[in-house]
Amino acid sequence: MESLSGASREAFYLLLSGDPELWTVVGISFSVSLRAILIAAPLAIVVAFVLAHARFPGRRPMLSAFNALQAVPAVVVGLTVYLLLSRSGPFGNLRLLFTQNAMILGQVLLCFPLLVALSHAALQALDRRAWETARTLGAPPWRAMLTTMHEVRFGLLAALIAGFGRIIAEVGSSLMVGGNILGATRNIPTAIALETSKGEYAQGIALGAVLLALALALNMALGMVQGRGEMA
Amino acid sequence: MRNCVALKTLLRASVLTATALLVMATAYAQSGVVRLSTTTSTENSGLLEELLPRFEQRSGLRVEVIAVGTGKALRMGRDGDVDVVLVHAPAAEEKFVANGYGVNRRQVMYNDFVIVGPRGDPAGIAGTKDAAQALARLAAQRAPFVSRGDDSGTHKMELALWRSADVQPAGQWYREAGQGMGRVLLMASELDAYTLCDRGTWLAMHEKLALRVLVQGDQRLYNPYGIIAVNPARHAGLQYTGAMALIDWIISREAQELIRGFRINNEPLFSPLAVRGP
Amino acid sequence: MSNLLAIDTPVVLEGVRKQFAGRTVLDVSRFVIAPSCCTFLAGDNGAGKTTLLRIAAGLDAPDQAAVTIDGCCRDWAAAQKQLQGNVIYFHQVPYLFDSTVADNIAYGLRFAMRSRAAIRQRVDAALDWAGLGHLAERNARQLSGGERQRVALVRAWVLAPRVLLLDEPLSAIDAHARAQTVDLIRRLKHDGAGLVITGHQAEALMPVVDERLHLQHGELSQADTTHAAGSRHQRGAPPLVLVN
Repeated sequence: MESLSGASREAFYLLLSGDPELWTVVGISFSVSLRAILIAAPLAIVVAFVLAHARFPGRRPMLSAFNALQAVPAVVVGLTVYLLLSRSGPFGNLRLLFTQNAMILGQVLLCFPLLVALSHAALQALDRRAWETARTLGAPPWRAMLTTMHEVRFGLLAALIAGFGRIIAEVGSSLMVGGNILGATRNIPTAIALETSKGEYAQGIALGAVLLALALALNMALGMVQGRGEMA
Repeated sequence: MRNCVALKTLLRASVLTATALLVMATAYAQSGVVRLSTTTSTENSGLLEELLPRFEQRSGLRVEVIAVGTGKALRMGRDGDVDVVLVHAPAAEEKFVANGYGVNRRQVMYNDFVIVGPRGDPAGIAGTKDAAQALARLAAQRAPFVSRGDDSGTHKMELALWRSADVQPAGQWYREAGQGMGRVLLMASELDAYTLCDRGTWLAMHEKLALRVLVQGDQRLYNPYGIIAVNPARHAGLQYTGAMALIDWIISREAQELIRGFRINNEPLFSPLAVRGP
Repeated sequence: MSNLLAIDTPVVLEGVRKQFAGRTVLDVSRFVIAPSCCTFLAGDNGAGKTTLLRIAAGLDAPDQAAVTIDGCCRDWAAAQKQLQGNVIYFHQVPYLFDSTVADNIAYGLRFAMRSRAAIRQRVDAALDWAGLGHLAERNARQLSGGERQRVALVRAWVLAPRVLLLDEPLSAIDAHARAQTVDLIRRLKHDGAGLVITGHQAEALMPVVDERLHLQHGELSQADTTHAAGSRHQRGAPPLVLVN
């Protein structure tokens, strides 16, 4: 108990004093995960749109696959990316392993199925008349698609927030393909894993507090977004 | 009146709970389990699997091994989460005892470290006898170096070497990985980088790596292991007798011979320190 | 906009067949939509009215059909694009986008016109024309059923459509809104649009209807329409519908 309260006190000192190492780690976490979600989201939403509106053979198996892939553990994604980017793997020449780009790739793969599944649910719930109205009023298909996305923007935003929540807290893939290199690929979750393994609980608690605050903020944002969606 | 009854019930319940906890704690202490925190490199080498079953058979005690980094292993001892600690960081061990967290420290054995790097050795340190000089050359050429960066025994050894080389390692070329030895070796191999490695992990993994041993044999690369019982005065319910039995056995002639005979890929890994030479 | 109206030829669909699960729901040999004419299409629920309108709007594909637009006969793939560009389909309960009334009315214009100022001008004019100016900045989702109906009609009117297909436009609104809707339909017809309106009873629409058709078990027949037919001949418009 003595160690918990002592470490917590030290943790808040670290946070408030603006410990540069700690805030670098926080910055890397956000920059990597934001880039990952920005890369994954457009494609995921288009895939979700096609799955929600088009009727083609293999649609249901694809949906099931995306639903199932949400449950893939981060370490499995990490292992896959590792094997692909390793010098003995097919993309070894790119020399991407142990860089932020490798982490981004892992996180893109991690959040993609979740984004597709949640966006699909939002788009599926939309009235089919939205698409037909856009088309009959002369919108070309891609503009009609943007219109339907705009109609369910709150649902899509909720999907993005959920996706971001998943990757910002993910440790398995980032540790494996990023390498936890200080100042380059060490983000909040891998830093927590490391500080705990060193017995440096204060740093771990401080970083955990940042993640917790973020989770709270995201959930509140999600609640507000859903509230607005229901109001409209 | 009712309040009084409620209070009595509460009291009785707390007494019962406390008694139950006490009984459980005593039972645990007497259940014949000794908890040992040690470094991952010790666990990974397979040495403990060789040593511990014989001790368990002889003493009737069971040893639970918790393999973590040196920093965490010592921290667990300090917090009373384990009964005995087996690590390799002499300075930290001495401090641990000086602070009163541990008692009866004994030297057990040593192994050595090697500096490994890309097969082509672009920095040209192969064959250097002085480890610090080799590191200084790496720093001068900004050759990529992967550091454990996890406060482990190996990390502490590496930092001590940089100090002897009078170099403050920092910059793009110096990458603090904050991971275990195996992962750091894989990273060094992928990144065409140099690193410091204990011989045990190197022997277990070198076939998978695009690396080779470049520097070895320096006195400073020597890596002694110590075993320390957690101070029973600081925490209730520690298995102190069990811990001492384990320490006694580890430094016995029999166990020391087992350590000397332990091989990976037909190469000896550890040299006993408690009982030297036959 | 007005260049569409310059083409004063009917849209003709021939040999339209559609099956659902092996059952023939539509078998129309000839269906003509002429400019400045209003056709009332009656029929029981499930007679195929909606299916016919959706095919005519290019929203659903028939099993087979030949379409003549601007005097050229095209196969379905080519015709669908033409239909989508010339025909506006009007849902029974119109869908309004989650945005302001003005944005809703501007929606189709954005694909036809470049200048934002010109769009704005046309939207304002349309709002005045329909007496909806006071609702311009309201969210369309907050309107009453009758208001929605009128906004949807104005949204179609600003595009000066060649053909407007309205699926039971009067079924879900009150008497007052009904009168206003009929008034808007009359003005659309006056501006040259070919209209097809479905429903159960035609009384409210009588003043604007030129032709009455009956759809039963997927087949079209001319209803008893002395009044409507008379008005058509007075106008001297081309024949609207030929059945077999």
